[in-house]
Amino acid sequence: MNHFRTFAAVSALMMTTTGVLADEIRVLNWQGYGTDLGWAVEAFEKATGDTVVHEYFNSEQEMLTKLRTNPGAYDVVLINVAFTPQAREEGLIAPIDKSKVPNLADVSPDFANNDALNADGELWGVPWTWGLTSFAVNTQTVSEIPTSIQVLWDPAYKGRVSIRDDALESVQLGALATGQSINQIDDLDAVEQKLSELMPQIRTFWGSENDWNQFMAAGELDLATYWSGSASRSQASGLPVQFVVPEEGAIGWLDGLSVPATSEHKDAAYAFINWMIDPEFYVRWDKEGAPASANAKAAAALPEDAFNRRVLGDPEVAARVQFQKPVPDETREQYLALWQKLKAAQ
Amino acid sequence: MAKAWTRDGLRATALLSPAYLWLTAAVFLPLSAMLYYSLLSDVPFGDAEWRITLDNYRAFFETGTYAALLWKSIRLGLTVTVVCILIGFPCAYVLAKTIRGRSREALFLLIILPFWSNSLVRIFSWAIVLRGNGVLELAVNAVLPFDIRLNLMFTQTAVVIGLVHSYLPYVILTTYLALQAIDDTLIDAARSMGAGKLTILRRLILPLSLPGLLAGAVLVFVPVVGAFMEPRILGGRFGTYYGTVIEDQFVAVFNWPLGAALSFILLAVVLLILALSSPILRRAPA
Amino acid sequence: MSGKWLARAGKVWLVLILIFLYAPIVIMGAMSFNASPFYQLPFEFSLNWYAALSENDAIRTAAIRSVGIALATMVIATALGTAASLAFFRYEFRGKFILQTLLFPPIAIPWLITGTAMLIFFFGIGLGRGTPSVLVGHVALALPYVIVVVSARLATFDRTLEEAARSLGAGAWTVTRRVTLPWIMPGVVAGALFAFAVSFDQFVVSYFLSEPGDATLPVLIYTSIRKGFTPEINAVSTIIIIISMAVMLVAARFSNFGGDR
Repeated sequence: MNHFRTFAAVSALMMTTTGVLADEIRVLNWQGYGTDLGWAVEAFEKATGDTVVHEYFNSEQEMLTKLRTNPGAYDVVLINVAFTPQAREEGLIAPIDKSKVPNLADVSPDFANNDALNADGELWGVPWTWGLTSFAVNTQTVSEIPTSIQVLWDPAYKGRVSIRDDALESVQLGALATGQSINQIDDLDAVEQKLSELMPQIRTFWGSENDWNQFMAAGELDLATYWSGSASRSQASGLPVQFVVPEEGAIGWLDGLSVPATSEHKDAAYAFINWMIDPEFYVRWDKEGAPASANAKAAAALPEDAFNRRVLGDPEVAARVQFQKPVPDETREQYLALWQKLKAAQ
Repeated sequence: MAKAWTRDGLRATALLSPAYLWLTAAVFLPLSAMLYYSLLSDVPFGDAEWRITLDNYRAFFETGTYAALLWKSIRLGLTVTVVCILIGFPCAYVLAKTIRGRSREALFLLIILPFWSNSLVRIFSWAIVLRGNGVLELAVNAVLPFDIRLNLMFTQTAVVIGLVHSYLPYVILTTYLALQAIDDTLIDAARSMGAGKLTILRRLILPLSLPGLLAGAVLVFVPVVGAFMEPRILGGRFGTYYGTVIEDQFVAVFNWPLGAALSFILLAVVLLILALSSPILRRAPA
Repeated sequence: MSGKWLARAGKVWLVLILIFLYAPIVIMGAMSFNASPFYQLPFEFSLNWYAALSENDAIRTAAIRSVGIALATMVIATALGTAASLAFFRYEFRGKFILQTLLFPPIAIPWLITGTAMLIFFFGIGLGRGTPSVLVGHVALALPYVIVVVSARLATFDRTLEEAARSLGAGAWTVTRRVTLPWIMPGVVAGALFAFAVSFDQFVVSYFLSEPGDATLPVLIYTSIRKGFTPEINAVSTIIIIISMAVMLVAARFSNFGGDR
């Protein structure tokens, strides 16, 4: 018995050192956001022998907190690129070894050269998905699809509008509606004024895709701000909604996959990231409702009528998008104070 | 005498120390660390520069927002507590004094059982009941001959309903525990001496059940003042309370010092209210 | 005559309260049989969510883990809390008031702050994450509830009973076991049930302190709302409620804790 145990221990040790023994990689992401799709994880485990375990966060701040307080616990982390510089400056993530992610070659240069992802001549996150924050309409109650963001302020929809309970998103929405750049808001008072006029229109704030779908399905709302990937998912599951990119523009965001500096399974992590930007993975994910892929080859592999090709692939739409830049902490707190003041006045 | 005291002291220590050592290790020390954070200018992670400051406490007074929301939350706490007592006391009385035998044990458990479901799932179920075209409206319209729009969802009333539902069992059970301990012969004696129902209630039952009633009231009031989930989901546009702004400091921005400072102000105000009200409450029914 | 009428009105009131308490529970159960993933009405019967649940290992293991942690919390918190309540009831000592006041911070401070504080502190002292840390946190949060509830019952206890028993030669432990505990049993049971509820619904502490892949049911529920949780959650909640109801009714049948003498 003892001999057998020793033997087992020794052979396990040998397998580890020779790299034959499979790794377990830990992924930190939002729940239900691509990396934890059952079939995708299964395919990866089959191909590499590595197993995948997930942990979830509920806000970007929580994700950063988890990285800070749990060194060595994670191997792949999803970071909205607006937060990548902060994670890099705090030493939380490692530069990407490009040679180990061959699919990077197919990522559009627009994304791969993103300012927030590149620093010191290194890439700090692999561009994965992108999308828009704009609004969607309930096609059962709104007959004519609006073209302007001002429709949210239309008295005809009083008490039938919803926006997300998020300071940054609300302030940036106000910036779009007052014709300002979302990344350089010069007239914050105008934004505050505009948002306070929006308040009486609002039925409720939404906090999650779950809220949004339920409120919309219950017929509580006509118009609500929303994310493009989520809109395509809601549509795919049968809700009568249509996503609108108004003439004033929309907020664009980009999500990247990074490797924590303290990861002990970096090779397996790169293999997983490579699979995540693979066209094969993306095309199947898109059928279930996905954000747009940063991989040009993957985007091109979508069917003609796919939401992400039809709406986000339209060059006219792309021209109207303002991509979110990193926001300094002080500005973020200033926006939060403004937003809380508006909500408290209700 | 001194020897007896020491023995009692030893016994008290033996009974108290497991609970309080546990609380110290798991709650008091961590919260002391948080109290320290509330005095810092920035979170002490990585290279962030920080110093000791009272700015976070000053922020509470600089704008009217926080004080107004705290007042709103206290009013919510009072409303929910009063509603819980008004509907919970009679219920506890019936359970303690009119129901007998096994069915009482069964009812006792039935009252606590809803607590064993997930609070978020429970609140979402309330949303399904209260929303426009929801279960309540459908039920009311099925009974009434004319159409009626209740519009309860996303109002303060919805928040109160959700919170009362979540905290009612505390009041019922703590009051029950006290009421059930009142000896029936005492009530009979008072009655035979010609005391009216109201007199018995005011002079006998209320004073004797007061410890339970107070324990229940505290277990409702204290957490409701800091509640954030129920207001967020059921309150809609009117769902901003003190608890929700604290949550935002942790979740939306990385400002633990301010969030911690706001929490300790909440704690201080709650303790002050309890301290001020305890002598009044204890005297009132006598 | 009027006494009877009052008693009947009282029973009606009790039934109304039970309806109020169970309304969302019944809705929760009903929605687990509703076909719509968005909880849409009108109701359309379907067993799909139970079928999906039977294949969802993550939810099932999380539910079992949560029950285990809640049971352990219940036992430890009830034992420690009852002991502390007895000390508060029997003995006068300096600092008693302060110790009692210290029970309020864990209840008053939102769990988000307490949870974050625990996370930082447990890391600082090297306990780290994992089920033991989760249990330590849950017991601490449940303790104040047990102490407040048991103390409320003890307040009605006639001290002279303990003294009488002691004067008859009974030792402290015998007095506790034969006289005091039977009297406060309803309070202890209520405290235990609350302790279970606090742990079973505890999200924040589990969220911060459990290891990846070791999520409890509330953690799973809260993290899934961003993408929308499905009525599978209702299905698992319904199963748990039905099992606990059965266990409780059996317990009520064979034991006496309602306080009947």
